[in-house]
This record gives sequence, structure tokens and C-alpha cells, in this order.
Amino acid sequence: MIMKVKVRYFARFRSIVGVREEEFEVPEGIRVKELLDILKERRPELKNEVFAQDEDADVNVSKNGRYVSFDDHLSDGDVVALFPPVSGG
Amino acid sequence: MLSGRELERYDRQIMIFGEEGQERLKNSKVAVVGVGGLGSPVAYYLAAAGVNLLLVDEQKPELSNLNRQILHWEEDLEKNPKPLSAKWKLEHFNSDIRIDTFIGRLTSENVGEVLKGVDVIVDCLDNFETRYLLDKYAHKKGVPLVHAAVEGLYGQITTVIPGETKSLREIFPNVRKKKGKFPILGGTAGVLGALQAVEAIKLITGIGRPLTNKLLIVDLANNTFEVIELR
Repeated sequence: MIMKVKVRYFARFRSIVGVREEEFEVPEGIRVKELLDILKERRPELKNEVFAQDEDADVNVSKNGRYVSFDDHLSDGDVVALFPPVSGG
Repeated sequence: MLSGRELERYDRQIMIFGEEGQERLKNSKVAVVGVGGLGSPVAYYLAAAGVNLLLVDEQKPELSNLNRQILHWEEDLEKNPKPLSAKWKLEHFNSDIRIDTFIGRLTSENVGEVLKGVDVIVDCLDNFETRYLLDKYAHKKGVPLVHAAVEGLYGQITTVIPGETKSLREIFPNVRKKKGKFPILGGTAGVLGALQAVEAIKLITGIGRPLTNKLLIVDLANNTFEVIELR
């Protein structure tokens, strides 16, 4: 089964893909981390982004306006936002 | 008690939070940790509002700092450590507040002594290593911590209150270490720094709702202010 999720890009990610948001058809019930893998396939310009949670962490994810972990499951109609944590001062 | 001069000086903001709010600011002390791009506007606006300050930094200003670190001037370059450079201007700006300084790097050994007695900590640092140190201290002592960070035209801000919100480490468990210098525009640090100063004033006076359990993401390239729920 297929479901639709909307992906919203912030900051660097928006500059890279050139759009504010887009909708993807993905397998039903996938996790956030699986969506990130799909994004890299369908958006080759994102392939150099690490999208990791370990010490190379370069993305934070929210689902429907709430912070989520990479293991969270997604449902049809979810809005997923990707934003890079920054550290400068 | 507020003096006649203070009542006049702070007249426009006393309209917001009353003399009682102004008294609270007068009796408070805020640590500005990092007196650079964020720390400059934070310290400037807190001094303007009548808040006593503790300025913490170990560096001296360099020429390439001046596009954003507006409390440091050409005459300070390579000469006056940032806390002293900032203190001098802020004392001429508002002689009614008390400004303490610590010139040095915060470590797990000295953080308790340096930050002793502050009411709010404002994180204006440029690395997460030291931020985690602030986070730990804030939780140990129950002191609110106003976090922000910037890069390019982009920034993030949230307020951590021990016992009420996630810790900074829970929100940002890992952040990739930046190698070398990062791009930054002074105005971006100005926007996020002004937000941090308002956040500290909200915490002290009790007005408004602080950014607790909320991460505000500011993207000035794309004109968006996005609030993400952290709970």
C-alpha cells in the first residue's frame, strides 16, 4: 500500500532542493529514517547530506509540528519538516 | 526602589510590565555566555532594559568578527578581551547597571563558581561542547537557559527550564562539529540575539509566554518563522 507524506525543507535543505515543500508517495507505515533514505534516492541533490543521528547529525525532524525521532512511524497525510541544527554564535 | 531617573529611563517598558517588573529586572543578573555575534545584541538590549550582567568570553576581538559582533570596535582589536570591550561600552550606555566579567573558558571545574547566583543563562556560544556544560549546570541549579544558534541567514532558539522542558542535550543530542569558519551575517545574529534578550526579560518579569518546549526556527532567506513543538 502507498501513502502520501508532505516534506517541508528548511534553511540549507530548501536552498539545495529549491522548493519549500513537496509530496511523496511512499510505502505505508514507514519510519522517518526510511523516508530519509527515499528522499536521497528521489532527490539526488540531497545525497551528500548525511541525515544521521549520531555524531554526524545534520538534520532534525518534526512530524505535524512536533519533534520526532528517526524511529517514529509515519501515516498518510503527515507533514514532515527537515531542518539542520546550527551551532554558530 | 526605583529612582526618579530610572522611572523616566524605563518609562516605555514600565508601561508593559509595571514598576514591579522593572524592579525585578533591577534585582536580576543574567549571564551572557559568549560575547560575540549573539552576545553583543543580547548584552546591549539587556543593558538597555536595566538588567545586571555577567559577561563571559575568553577571546579578544578580531577584524573578521566585526561584521556581527557590534559591541567590539576597531580600537579593541587584538587588545581588549571581549567581556571588557563590551563592559566599557555598556557602562557608558547605562551607568545604573552592574556588569561583572569573566575572561576565560568555561570548564566543568569553574562553571559553578563563574555562574554562581545568576537568574538566567543566555547561551551565545559557538559550540555544543560548552553548551552541554551550560545545560548540565542549568539543570543542577534549576536555572533557565535561553539557547540560540545561527548560521548564514538561519537560526534557532528555545528556552530550557529544568523540570519543565527537555534539556538542550535531549533536543540536540548530537550536532555535527563545524570544521573551521561558518558563514554568518550580522543581522541574523541581531534577530536571534534580540529574541534571546526578550526571552530573558519575559522569564524575569513573567510577561508573555516563553519559548518553553518550543523551538523557533528563523529562516531569513525564506522569510519564515516556524515554531516546532518539542514535547
